[in-house]
Amino acid sequence: MQITRIEIITAFLALLIITGCSSSAQVQLAERQFPTVVSKPKPVSASIVFDSEFRGYVAAPNKSTSIEIGNAQTTMLGNAFKGLFNRVEVVSSRDEVSLENALVITPSVQEVQVSTPSDTYLNVYEVWIKYNLDIHTSEGDQIDSWFMPAYGKTPDSFMLYKTNAIEEATIIALRDAGAKLILDFYRIPSVYSWMVQHRKTGGSNE
Amino acid sequence: MSKPLLAAATILLCACGATTSIDEYRPSNSVMEINRDESVVILGRRDAGHYDTDREFISCVASRMKGANINVMPEQQFIDSIYPWFEPRTAPKGLKRLTRLMQDPNIRHEVDRQSIRYLVWLDGSTETQNQGGSISCAISPGGGGCFGFAQWEKSSVYEAIIWDLNELSEKGRLRVDSAGTSYLIGAVAPIPLLSPVKKDACSSLGKQLKKFFSLDRE
Repeated sequence: MQITRIEIITAFLALLIITGCSSSAQVQLAERQFPTVVSKPKPVSASIVFDSEFRGYVAAPNKSTSIEIGNAQTTMLGNAFKGLFNRVEVVSSRDEVSLENALVITPSVQEVQVSTPSDTYLNVYEVWIKYNLDIHTSEGDQIDSWFMPAYGKTPDSFMLYKTNAIEEATIIALRDAGAKLILDFYRIPSVYSWMVQHRKTGGSNE
Repeated sequence: MSKPLLAAATILLCACGATTSIDEYRPSNSVMEINRDESVVILGRRDAGHYDTDREFISCVASRMKGANINVMPEQQFIDSIYPWFEPRTAPKGLKRLTRLMQDPNIRHEVDRQSIRYLVWLDGSTETQNQGGSISCAISPGGGGCFGFAQWEKSSVYEAIIWDLNELSEKGRLRVDSAGTSYLIGAVAPIPLLSPVKKDACSSLGKQLKKFFSLDRE
């Protein structure tokens, strides 16, 4: 049987279409630049604990999707913390904390959710990242465990490749996490109380 | 080409035109002045749940305004330079909030450093409605083709609000409505006859926005 050129082209096109319909997505957000924060830091010191799990976090919101957000979230939240505190120390574990009279904040990812147009029949890709910020004093007393959700979505899904769309939505979610942190951190009642106490005891770093 | 065919083609092409109307509101008749060193930023509203003002439309309006020698700063450059105060979660929705933001010396400094005089907020979307007809395409080793007829209506509704960052006041509003019907004819090859709804909305809005600004050249 002789295979004609048309048959080869047809088979190639069919293969291309079938591959294009593949529903798996492996997203990498490594080595990404995020903007610095325009904010006046308060006279507070903080040790930020980015442990190895957080730095290398790979989210698996479903069987066919994985998102490497470790590097990007470390950069993004690192920038945001610099806009909150005038003295920031980034460490890999609680044992390495050296600042005194400071906050010790350990962020962790609780869950990452992704929704695609095929799940929701909406014309957008969406990503939710649920963070938890464990806030202690440098003396070891717990101040709070703050739940911080962040959300990102693509403007539409037209002609978007799934991997690129989830990447775009994840970047928007990470930016949202930074915005939420800057906006709401000092509104946490227990943090506010600690700040008042901190000022009274002369713990200001100004 | 025979006369009936030519007439049919003309009718079809004319039917694909978009109908666009613009409404304009200014609180006063005074002209909006902008000098050579100052810039305008066109920003899209992205806080609604079911739509985002798309970046392509914003770039289109910005490119229409550049023709009048007005400095238009790219949207993302402005949003990054003032992060996180113009993210979907934090962007000011009214003048009261804008005034509070501008009281922050760091934000004011950044705006002044970049000589940003006006913000133009664009809010809206382009939607497809009333889809009808059907078209089917087939391909086989022996050949392929499309047969059928499909049509759909598109409508673009966008509103522009102009804020003056020096006076912290609203300088005007524009609203553009554009609608049109597109057709796809399957006669072996698919023949698209698309109505340029969004393009018309963009060019009309850009042209009208240009008229809002008078260049103060000394």
